[in-house]
Amino acid sequence: MDVAYPVGLVVVAAAIIIGFTALVREKDDLHRILLTDLAEILALVLIALVATDLAEALILPGLVVGISELMAVSEVYIAKEGLRAPTGPPFRIEVMNSAPGILALILVAYGIVLSGFTGGVIAAVGAVFYFMCRGHTEQFELIETVSGYAWAFWIGAFFIFMFLPGYWFFGVMIAGGAILLKVMAKMSLVGTMRGGGPDV
Amino acid sequence: MTPEFILGCIILIIGVIAAGFPRPMTYLGRLISLEIPGFGLLLIMLAYDEMLALLTFIGVTAISTFVLVRAIERKEAAE
Repeated sequence: MDVAYPVGLVVVAAAIIIGFTALVREKDDLHRILLTDLAEILALVLIALVATDLAEALILPGLVVGISELMAVSEVYIAKEGLRAPTGPPFRIEVMNSAPGILALILVAYGIVLSGFTGGVIAAVGAVFYFMCRGHTEQFELIETVSGYAWAFWIGAFFIFMFLPGYWFFGVMIAGGAILLKVMAKMSLVGTMRGGGPDV
Repeated sequence: MTPEFILGCIILIIGVIAAGFPRPMTYLGRLISLEIPGFGLLLIMLAYDEMLALLTFIGVTAISTFVLVRAIERKEAAE
């Protein structure tokens, strides 16, 4: 285990040099966005090499910042280039009709078992897949309301930690469930980004 | 130095070269190549028992692929 850290650092340093060489030589903007994703992976490897609970605690916010940055940059790119949704027949394959129900159910159930931020993301992947394949007619106000209440519960759980430390397990359960709902509600909005209607 | 760690490092280097200099210089080719260093990262996380980070990374990668494909399909429709 002692040798692993320097070896890993050397590997990551080589990978960073290769990756950023590619980034500097690239002229196309969308290719640059894709290489930004590569740079994010390399940064996460650097953190993962620390190999303690601290690494895990740092990787989770790193992933959040990474996905939100990627969404913002790709939106800015689409707006800047004035790109529109492709016309013509929408992309349909048979599995998009049969899979969403069962796959979303499995992912959401597993996400609830995991709870916390990780569970929220796993459950959100199921919700995104469902919205993407089946279309969406839900009221977004409802999702926003659930998300807001979940956030309030999350803060409430922290007050339990502070003022009633004896009830820490109750606080953990509330915080885990609330952040699950919060992340899942926010992330599942991504699934509606391709436009409206069941014929997406 | 567990086998997962060594394999992860090798796949990471291969993946960075594949994603940095893809042979047919297409958007989709580069997006698919990006999965290779991601798999190297997963193996390194596996070597250190970082289970939460591993699962979250899988979930976030699925969502980020969706976001990138959306940009790519619009770009290719405009060309």
